[in-house]
Amino acid sequence: MKKEITLQTRRAFLRTTVLGGALSWTVPAFLSNTFSLLQAAAADSATQVATGRDSTILVVIQMAGGNDGLNTVVPFDNDHYRRARPKIGISNSQVLKLNDQLGLHPALGGFKAMFDAGELSIIQGIGYPNPNRSHFRSTEIWQTASDSERFEKHGWIGRYFDNACDGADPTVGVNIGRQMPQAFASKSLKGVSLDNPRNYRFISSERPMAGEADMMEQSFRGLNEAEDVNAGGSIGAIGGPAIRPGGSPLEFLERTALDAQVSSEKIRALADRVENRAVYPSSQLGNSLKLVAKLIGGGLPTRIFYASQGGYDTHSGQLGAQDRLLRDLGDSVKAFADDLKAQGNMDRVMVMTFSEFGRRVAENANGGTDHGAAAPMFIVGNRIKAGLQGTYPSLAPEDLFQGDLRHTVDFRSVYAGVLEQWLRTKSEPILGRKFAAFEVL
Amino acid sequence: MNRAGFGGTPAEIQKLVESGLEKAVSQFVFFERIPDSTPAPDWARPDPDRLKKLAAIRQAPEPERRELQRQEQELQRQRLLELRGWWLQRMVRGPRPLQEKLTLFWHGHFATSFEKVRDAYYMWRQNELFRRLAGGNWLQLLTEAGKDPAMLIWLDQAQSRKQKPNENFAREVMELFALGEGHYTEMDVTEAARALTGWALDRENQKFVYRPRIHDAGEKTIFGKTGNFDGDDLIRMIVEQPQAAVFITGKLWNFFAGEPPSRELNTALAEEFRRGGNNLQSFLKTMFLSEAFYASSLIRSQVKSPVQWLVGSVRMLECDLPPTPVCVNLLRTLGQNLFAPPNVKGWDGGLAWINTNTLLARYNEAEVLVEADSAVLAAIAARTPAQARRAQRRLRGRPGGVNVEKILTTEERADKDTLLAALEKRLLQGKLKDKQRESLRDYLKSKGDLDESEIRGALRLIMSTPEFQLS
Repeated sequence: MKKEITLQTRRAFLRTTVLGGALSWTVPAFLSNTFSLLQAAAADSATQVATGRDSTILVVIQMAGGNDGLNTVVPFDNDHYRRARPKIGISNSQVLKLNDQLGLHPALGGFKAMFDAGELSIIQGIGYPNPNRSHFRSTEIWQTASDSERFEKHGWIGRYFDNACDGADPTVGVNIGRQMPQAFASKSLKGVSLDNPRNYRFISSERPMAGEADMMEQSFRGLNEAEDVNAGGSIGAIGGPAIRPGGSPLEFLERTALDAQVSSEKIRALADRVENRAVYPSSQLGNSLKLVAKLIGGGLPTRIFYASQGGYDTHSGQLGAQDRLLRDLGDSVKAFADDLKAQGNMDRVMVMTFSEFGRRVAENANGGTDHGAAAPMFIVGNRIKAGLQGTYPSLAPEDLFQGDLRHTVDFRSVYAGVLEQWLRTKSEPILGRKFAAFEVL
Repeated sequence: MNRAGFGGTPAEIQKLVESGLEKAVSQFVFFERIPDSTPAPDWARPDPDRLKKLAAIRQAPEPERRELQRQEQELQRQRLLELRGWWLQRMVRGPRPLQEKLTLFWHGHFATSFEKVRDAYYMWRQNELFRRLAGGNWLQLLTEAGKDPAMLIWLDQAQSRKQKPNENFAREVMELFALGEGHYTEMDVTEAARALTGWALDRENQKFVYRPRIHDAGEKTIFGKTGNFDGDDLIRMIVEQPQAAVFITGKLWNFFAGEPPSRELNTALAEEFRRGGNNLQSFLKTMFLSEAFYASSLIRSQVKSPVQWLVGSVRMLECDLPPTPVCVNLLRTLGQNLFAPPNVKGWDGGLAWINTNTLLARYNEAEVLVEADSAVLAAIAARTPAQARRAQRRLRGRPGGVNVEKILTTEERADKDTLLAALEKRLLQGKLKDKQRESLRDYLKSKGDLDESEIRGALRLIMSTPEFQLS
């Protein structure tokens, strides 16, 4: 019940301090007065949140392209595995052994260290019924948490925003990257996307002297104020679902322009102020997680961060490519965890990886693998149920479906576990029906 | 003009309006009547020594090999840069806007990336294929696109053979290029991959080759029909599926009109397409003349793609394209890096172009076009301070930006209201909200004069609105 109280506090805070502060330059004076009054009233509860030490945070990492699960968590002692992978199989002398049957890919040293420290959970055999082998469709299924045959417009994270984050700041969801993932698609249009905090603002062409107003900046604000802010003057109109779902492209643009202004100042300030305390690989994923760590350290009121890493579509020459990608993944996540520990924030962060599918059990003629089905997921955190979870799917030819592994755990059970146990919200309205929550904590 | 091309100046639009819809559409659609003598880049031809050169690099001893490889990559990168500039220039200045716009459509449709192909000549060749068959016959285009060297590499067909058929192209040709998800079975994919074996890349002559020795000549069952099909048979069978016309006309409509067609409209479009024998040009003419294409809900409600935004702005502002490296960086920032789509599905387009990040980037890149200020260009293009300094040196003293005397008459510049009306007409072909116009008037009022720098400021501000992102 303590959690519930914290969440209430958070919402109250969001309506006042953060939005009020960030919006003081986008709203007319009479409104900002209202804000400061509310802010004074909420000062007590605001302090608690401003330190950024309350709510749990989920960081989702997408491994785009379909990661080969078999060569990630390797059943090195399995005869079927060795027969199916004569060229690209990983031998028992190379793997980082987890037990006498399974080992991690040799490039996953970062993950192995966390596994040994009880901070890594490997959930085996994840998938969904009637698996689809198309990248796009399967990614869409993972992003929307829909059944294989059903099409959903909104993402599972978006539905979390719609259902559990009413009145929250748009930065309740932050995607690091240029394109917003479908998982964020929501009725309430929450979530922001950025890849470089330095350029995440309107850069005026004027260089006003000290004390002079930047007229271009002022005019820019006037040009990008959504109508409802001026007309309604209600606080709810800013953070809440002010725009009707399925509105026009222009309304969508106006809302995005407003969200951009609201989040820009805050995010840039944090990115400048907070220092990273770990050494990250100089990769795209490494840089993304570096920024996420800064935003967490600075107390941005974000519940879900999203970062991605691409290139797992290894139809040919898989050995080199996957080695490079997994090394980057393991090292980046390890650095991120070290950074959060140094900040004292590791307790409230959970990292979850996913890929749209695993790959065919048998290798192809080009030293690669084709699109498959079930594969493992990783969860990182220091309050999680660590270790090997679930059951490794059978590799026996008679147990395969069209050459692919059959899943033993539905990914939506994992989502349900994360939503209920970690984000502390009901999973049913978000996932559309009841899934047995996988024990993630 | 905005939708079938890349927009234009008020004078160009006026001229087109005066010629009448029918004539204007014909002028756009039957573009081959207009001569276009743009020369190809000088390296755009097969290189008989290329295979030998690549083999020599591979066989060179270690420190040397790495250096040779670096040089080769650098050469390809340089050519890719040239290619991007070459194409953008065609879009801005070329005499056949629809042909270039269709080439852009096919590039997004077949979504092949240099990142895997790694050969600028192949990328140019594919681009020329799209241009040549932009308005041609769909069966021919789909067949030639499948045999195109860049595509053979991109979707691994070049590595497929009888013993182990690679399913990549077989799947995507049905899912992404011609039919769509749900209109084929997994069995069709596996069998299609067998039919396609034998389609290969002749790396020596850098062109398609059919190799009977690696073709699986056995019986296949595809779409319920059984026979000893080969690749050509497969593509024909795909295009003959009733769904094929529905799929491609729906995609074309979405690209040009800005939103997917209703089911009824899509059925009508598909019927029209089939009636014209799968000919793209005659279909486009009918589409551009249809009443539905001018429905009020479609007017000024299409989010400009980054390329449309850049090319259209340059045309509206009657200024020069920024130097190619600046254009490339700009398009990458806005999310549409030419010759490098994010994945085989291409760019999602529509509202997906816009998020808080890309919208702010559009607002900031507007300054690059309007001011073309060397310091701004350098700062925006550079990723590191060292790069910024280098770029600043390179671009110092470069004249550029918008010439306000060229695009606005003295009368239009006479006072704030005539100026704002002229700018609205040129940039938006529509009106700002009263509140927005007031903001702009306040900005101009604070400046006093209506000189070049104030007018440029107003241009940039109008480009920094939600309204400007739509066409």
